[in-house]
Amino acid sequence: MGRKGAWHHLLNMIIKNGYGGRVLRVDLTTRSHSVEELDPVWIKPVIGGRPANTKRLAEELNPECDPLGPENILIFGIGPLTGSLLPASAYYTVTAKSPLTGILGDSAAGGQFGAEMKLTGYDQIIITGRADSLLYCLITDSDIRFIDCPELAGTSIIQTTETIRQDHKDYAIQVAAIGQSGENQVHFAAIVSSGNRVNGRTGMGAVMGSKNLKALAVRGSRSLELAEPLAFLEETKKIESAILQHNEYPKRYALGTTMLMTDLNDIGILPTKHFQEGVCTYVDEISGQKLADTYKIKNKACFNCNLHCSRYYVVNDIQAEGPEYETLCSFTSRLGCESLPFALEMNSFLNQTGLDSISTSEVIGWIMECQEKGLISPKDLDGLHIRWGDTHTIRKAVEMIALRAGVGDKLALGATKLAQEFSEEARKLVMQVKGLDIICGDPRGIKAYGLTYAIASRGGDHLRAEPFFELTDRKDEARDRFGTEKAADRLAEEGKAALVTYSEKIALLTDALTMCKNIGLCMDILNLENASALLKAGTGIDYTPEYLHKTLGDAINRDYELNTKFGIKKEDNTLPERFQAEPLPQGPTKGSTVDIQRMVNEYYKLHNWE
Amino acid sequence: MIQVDISKCTGCHRCETACAFFHTGRINNRLARIKVMNLYETGTDGPVLCVQCEEHYCLRCPENAMGFGDQGQIIISPGNCTSCGVCEKACPIGAIEIFNKRVFVCDLCGGKPKCVEACTEGAIVYVPNAAEHPSLAAINRETKKMNPSEKRRHYLKKVESVLQNRVYAND
Repeated sequence: MGRKGAWHHLLNMIIKNGYGGRVLRVDLTTRSHSVEELDPVWIKPVIGGRPANTKRLAEELNPECDPLGPENILIFGIGPLTGSLLPASAYYTVTAKSPLTGILGDSAAGGQFGAEMKLTGYDQIIITGRADSLLYCLITDSDIRFIDCPELAGTSIIQTTETIRQDHKDYAIQVAAIGQSGENQVHFAAIVSSGNRVNGRTGMGAVMGSKNLKALAVRGSRSLELAEPLAFLEETKKIESAILQHNEYPKRYALGTTMLMTDLNDIGILPTKHFQEGVCTYVDEISGQKLADTYKIKNKACFNCNLHCSRYYVVNDIQAEGPEYETLCSFTSRLGCESLPFALEMNSFLNQTGLDSISTSEVIGWIMECQEKGLISPKDLDGLHIRWGDTHTIRKAVEMIALRAGVGDKLALGATKLAQEFSEEARKLVMQVKGLDIICGDPRGIKAYGLTYAIASRGGDHLRAEPFFELTDRKDEARDRFGTEKAADRLAEEGKAALVTYSEKIALLTDALTMCKNIGLCMDILNLENASALLKAGTGIDYTPEYLHKTLGDAINRDYELNTKFGIKKEDNTLPERFQAEPLPQGPTKGSTVDIQRMVNEYYKLHNWE
Repeated sequence: MIQVDISKCTGCHRCETACAFFHTGRINNRLARIKVMNLYETGTDGPVLCVQCEEHYCLRCPENAMGFGDQGQIIISPGNCTSCGVCEKACPIGAIEIFNKRVFVCDLCGGKPKCVEACTEGAIVYVPNAAEHPSLAAINRETKKMNPSEKRRHYLKKVESVLQNRVYAND
């Protein structure tokens, strides 16, 4: 290599203006790959992360395809600011057609994977086909290797991660892997990176398993350069101090999202016994505070974050990171369990076998309620009989799901599909929207969240909008921004369509910047103004708040159109009957139900959809 | 010198990111002179950087390209350095690594280390004019055949086991 050649090589090693500028396509059937340039015109309106992935899926996927067949497209995507100086901005999104719901599926996770993927210079990794035997891919900036790994079959996430690192003698390799559940194609299997960082929802782990892909390992050596480094530094400093000075900072630092256990219980919406109740009498025994006081040994953090809201704990002979609120609630009050050590044990088990905690809890909780009501007999389920709080049987059921052993093979399809075998009455008790099991927050006491579950393009989920504003009681602001002070009243339906229509844009923006929702959205840190300033300084592209507003709206329409192709109709945007017709029996949300149709109608009108 | 308390480290890599950015204007863990390890089996996190060891293994540079600064930091003369890799091999804890033909080792940022500023957890502390310097002789015997990444992992595990023994001794 001549002198000029050497320089050229070095310049290629720089990621200019945030984007790696390359898309990697991997075909597992032929074990081949190709590299494309990222088209700047294509990427500008979708920025990166989730909206870019959805656009790719909409353009390239045959909507009729079998989600667990070789035709399905599995996309790992990051954004221009992933792994930059911006705190809490190293999420990566995994997108595919969901085997759980049959519609748009995606799930994001933090940790370290996204930041290392950035250094490979690939903004998207698009995986198609199916390998003839279990393998993993090691992706570096200049190479992709398909490595057979029969010895990793059945191994846990951490075992897989550490084996890959040891084999290549490089402990900076980041690994996104599936565990036994993904290999067995449990429909709600997860992908897990950084040991305990979970892409949990919509069964992306099953898609990976269907492709015989045990893990995606990344190790880059390209250097990220921002368009205006000093301006970018200034913007990130503002975000950092907004986090540190936030009134929730001490609580979030100590407890992370597990603070929500008592917060939700205090307003009577903590799912208890499968959403039959909203108040849990023993909440102090299963709370984030109890966890922090008794089992937490230190804080953990995602890449470059200054909140450090994750936690590491030790209980009996188990040590692991987490749990987040959803897992904690899913395996305590939602199933009538009073044991915090049990929930911590399940957190570790679910993370290492790679299962979504919400969907796992739903299939079990639904069986519990149906068996209590006599709608399902143990005979129907191979003798399986689960009662509230029966940790022994829950543990057994979860293990059977992961292994698809015995009746676990049916449970592995998820509550919605399992319910098809049973009565109408039993089917109505599945807490799902569009086939995705609802998260741990009773919508009867948070109406805008209820609307979010109903309209969310991946099914019953809050992260598509996270309209925390309805809990703020900021009445004047509510009137100015959403036309009625009721928008800041959690029990009202008025103004919630307007609130969600705004909030879903910020949620999408957070996903495009691959930022953490807790910080970007729940702590109210990100907005169109600072996001456009960050994007402009990062990419050199002239993003403005107005442009972002418009282009995010287009992206939301794209989700809608894609799901229409998957067969979704307006009437699928609804909530389970319970939330519409059964008032909560006690507590601060007592007597409340959700008029979901009214909110969905208003929401559709605001979008000009019909 | 910079002292590390891994019991406070959350594994966020802020020190590493800041180090690379303020030295080079770019972000890449290979450009950092402090490198964070996340060991998932034990939940151990911690940055590894030059501890200014008593033995000064790296100073056996055949090109005479390495010397001390007034704070004990390693200073490299780029004119003399041929990127031969002797220092990388010599450092027992992987605190020196060559990337793109350049040697990366902590230079203390001229006395105001950016990694210390970036750490919100107090896991890394700058101690000017430190009187005592650790000996790495024992570790050196164990890590001779390892690459820098393996050395860092080995060292971090050692630090952790010392820490745990101390915790148990206090119980």
